[in-house]
Amino acid sequence: MNAVYRSYGPLLGTIILLGVAVWTLAMIVGPQLFMIEQSLWRMEQPDSAVTAGMRIEELNNALSLAQYDLGALEGTTDPDKMAEREKLARSVSAMEQELTTLQGQDTAPVKVYTISNYTEMSGYHAEIFVKTIGASLMVTLIAFAVCYPVAYAAAKLAKPERAALILLGLVIPYAINELLRVFAWLMILDYQGVANSVLLWFGLPEPVRFLDSGAGVFVAMVYAYVLFMVFPIYNTIETLDTNQIEAARDLGASTWKIHSRVVLPHAKPGIAVGSIMTFMLSAGSFSVPHIMTRGTAQPWFSQLIYSKFYDSFYWNQGAAYAFTLLLVCVAFIILMMKVFKVGIRDIAK
Amino acid sequence: MRGKSVSLDSVSMRFGDFTAVQPTTLTIQAGEFFSILGPSGCGKTTLLRMISGFMSPTGGTIRIGDADVTALGPNRRPTALIFQNLALFPLMPVWENVAFGLEVRGVSRRDRREKAEELLALVALDGQGDKLPTALSGGQRQRVAIARALAVEPAVLLLDEPLSALDLKLRQHMRTELKEIQRKTGVTFLYITHDQGEALTMSDRVAVMRSGVVEQVGRGDDIYDNPATSFVASFVGESNRLTGTVDSISGGFATVSTRFGTLTARSGPGLAAGDKTIVFIRPERTRLQDTPDGAGLALRGTFLRRDLEGPFINLFFDCQGTPFSAHITNDSRHAAETGTDHWLRIAPEDALALPAGALARDE
Amino acid sequence: MSSTAPSSSVSASRVVLSVYMALFFAYLFLPLILMVAAGFNSYSPPSVTQWQGFSLRWFSELAEDQRILQGIVNSVVVATGVILLSLPLGLSGALLLSRLDARSGSLLYGVLVSPVLTPGIILGISTLIFWRQVDVGGGLGLTVMAQSTFIAAYCMLMFMARLQRQDTSLEEAALDLGATHMQVFRRITLPFLRPAMLSAAVIAFLQSIENYNTTVFSIGASHTLVTEIGSRMRFGLTPVVNIIGLLFVTVTVAVAVAYVLLRQRERARTPAG
Repeated sequence: MNAVYRSYGPLLGTIILLGVAVWTLAMIVGPQLFMIEQSLWRMEQPDSAVTAGMRIEELNNALSLAQYDLGALEGTTDPDKMAEREKLARSVSAMEQELTTLQGQDTAPVKVYTISNYTEMSGYHAEIFVKTIGASLMVTLIAFAVCYPVAYAAAKLAKPERAALILLGLVIPYAINELLRVFAWLMILDYQGVANSVLLWFGLPEPVRFLDSGAGVFVAMVYAYVLFMVFPIYNTIETLDTNQIEAARDLGASTWKIHSRVVLPHAKPGIAVGSIMTFMLSAGSFSVPHIMTRGTAQPWFSQLIYSKFYDSFYWNQGAAYAFTLLLVCVAFIILMMKVFKVGIRDIAK
Repeated sequence: MRGKSVSLDSVSMRFGDFTAVQPTTLTIQAGEFFSILGPSGCGKTTLLRMISGFMSPTGGTIRIGDADVTALGPNRRPTALIFQNLALFPLMPVWENVAFGLEVRGVSRRDRREKAEELLALVALDGQGDKLPTALSGGQRQRVAIARALAVEPAVLLLDEPLSALDLKLRQHMRTELKEIQRKTGVTFLYITHDQGEALTMSDRVAVMRSGVVEQVGRGDDIYDNPATSFVASFVGESNRLTGTVDSISGGFATVSTRFGTLTARSGPGLAAGDKTIVFIRPERTRLQDTPDGAGLALRGTFLRRDLEGPFINLFFDCQGTPFSAHITNDSRHAAETGTDHWLRIAPEDALALPAGALARDE
Repeated sequence: MSSTAPSSSVSASRVVLSVYMALFFAYLFLPLILMVAAGFNSYSPPSVTQWQGFSLRWFSELAEDQRILQGIVNSVVVATGVILLSLPLGLSGALLLSRLDARSGSLLYGVLVSPVLTPGIILGISTLIFWRQVDVGGGLGLTVMAQSTFIAAYCMLMFMARLQRQDTSLEEAALDLGATHMQVFRRITLPFLRPAMLSAAVIAFLQSIENYNTTVFSIGASHTLVTEIGSRMRFGLTPVVNIIGLLFVTVTVAVAVAYVLLRQRERARTPAG
């Protein structure tokens, strides 16, 4: 802290500290804490309100009966009936009084802290959750397999001008909006899309419903996030001294050995970063399933969260679902850091 | 411009358990060219950074002229620092670099430009003001750094090994130039270096530092001829060494018993009879003879090899296991045969006996 | 490639790799080409299989589409807000971290970059919940806050990369010459950071314009260009969306080229930068 003031002086130092404090507290830590807090309570009817509600119900019934009777006795001259009517009127006013008191009581729902927002995740939702995580892992794995050769070729094999061209070719689709990239695949995989046209032309009897199976989500997701895997791996392989590869080859290493013993170990931080980004984007993706499921295929977990917020307005459970997703992502990051033995500083680059 | 004195009173610097500078008391006179000489890690840069204000001493007070500056930041001291890497601002043209100190003091652009040109003329860079620093040569950049530092009219100019990045010829040329600028401006120069050549040629006085301690302060001749400690004797210049025990001291000369026999040498400070001692003999004061005749002790040495240094030749001998060297002027061909024996005579006035303790601690 | 690598196996594997690269780029670009092509088909919803003739009518429909045009305006407003918020925050973070020791620095660093590694929807949700505590609901302002949470981190990383290359003796030299900390910042540090500021602003702008996952939660009843596209994916899909795609491609390439050119000019101006 002193070092900050010594370097920047009192005015600038204070501005810097304030800026970081606002960012940390009001934009990162605060919102997360409030989200967790929101996930830990729900509004419930208090017990007293439940019994009061039953009694009100009861009184209302009795009251309408008595009022009906009272109406029947209206205008009578029979003294017996007059007395009966008197009695009835008294009990009606007593009941009316009790009703007013009861209705005056606070029956508003109260805030109750509970973990049931988490535990009440239904079997169907849990299944979607597990499928989402599983599919995201698969997307990550496939993205790695697809990207590694590309990253290696761009970093080490291509001549400089060609490598620049390859990078430009990677950057352009990367910079185009995610929704539009996914939409391009919708046009291909739609019932009347390009893929089906081609298949029909080849003699398939009828179009395939790619989208209903959820396969569409999967394919588009690999497409949408594959580039988040390429760049980190490319960046690390690029820093590898080419002499090391040639030395390994010179010593008689096979292509497989060169990669498993020289290139891959060097690319570890990049692989970790790429995997974390791809997994995080897939598991938390809202755009891809939003477009590709079109409401027919099974939803993605992020869609459940969205509907908790904007369809059923049940924010508490929505927050609980969101936090669960966050925990999985954190767990994945920790796992990657352990597996690839990299620190947080290597990751965020 | 007028220089001011710098007084250190028990100034010390600790980093946790490590003491970088032991309590040091030292006065640098106004207008003096003063050097601090020492190996890397001896604390000289720390001392400089404390005087410039980038570090606050953990003890003691620093005064510049009559003012106590211990608590002031670097921007409020009448000092200017020339950095080892010069630290010229790469995005500003040369003249803006030079005038930066005036700019931050609110001097008008016209006056700044004028003053910058004046200073650039002083360092022989007239008309180079609009170039970027990167367009200049190493020596020119060096001079820009000096002009920039002088622009704020400092009372004390602090130089942190500024010549170390230059090549040999330029370095020697810049020595003369620095000395000349110092003379013209009258500013106190405090020069930090590990290069004894720089320290001895330019300075009025030199302080030799080791392990956070100033071991000796004096004129160059003093330091070289009468080193106060065995460290100074071995760090400044080259020396042959003989170990022995002091038998007696009288009239400024000590009689020392060595395994080559008894030797008379000038007695250094802190030496007493019975002490272990190291006797230092400069190679250029070693008399090379064919016979053992003359005053002082003569050693018999077997010639090993010669190194041509240019103006002189360094000859190496083996004296019964003790290495010994002698410098001879390169005025004639000296044809010694490897394996031949010669006599190396040590005259009493050319040998200096110093207490062995301090150096032994190090080695 | 060294000449010591002989043999047909190397050239064979090169052929395999070349084919692979060609397939990979076909995979990247074909969908985009199809999407753009459908924008010139007069048939709606967008299709290339039901070709009904080349047409430019979707351009004029786009020009008259008030919701889309308003969306573009909103997107630019949000992106401008994000730049104005993220650059100062990112810069504060980078300046602070450059002066902290390793241990406290690592913790703060972890906290500040965590939004980059957090799913976008969670950033949107947590911002929405946080600001509802003080009765601020979804809208453009909230979207600026939500997006800046992670975009500021990107800016910070860019500033940090630049600061790492700064010679600290420059700041010391300026201080030594009598500059105040403010003057050092204005005359030395800021000019040094200028190229990074430019990059950070461009990245922040693009990230903000493109953002969907965070924005969809924080935008409330308002809309940006991208959330409008998102809602049309379910309702009222016409090739107007494809034309937007075409414009995105054009703008992206233009910005990329402009950025590269600007960087080159900047570099030419600052040789040692």
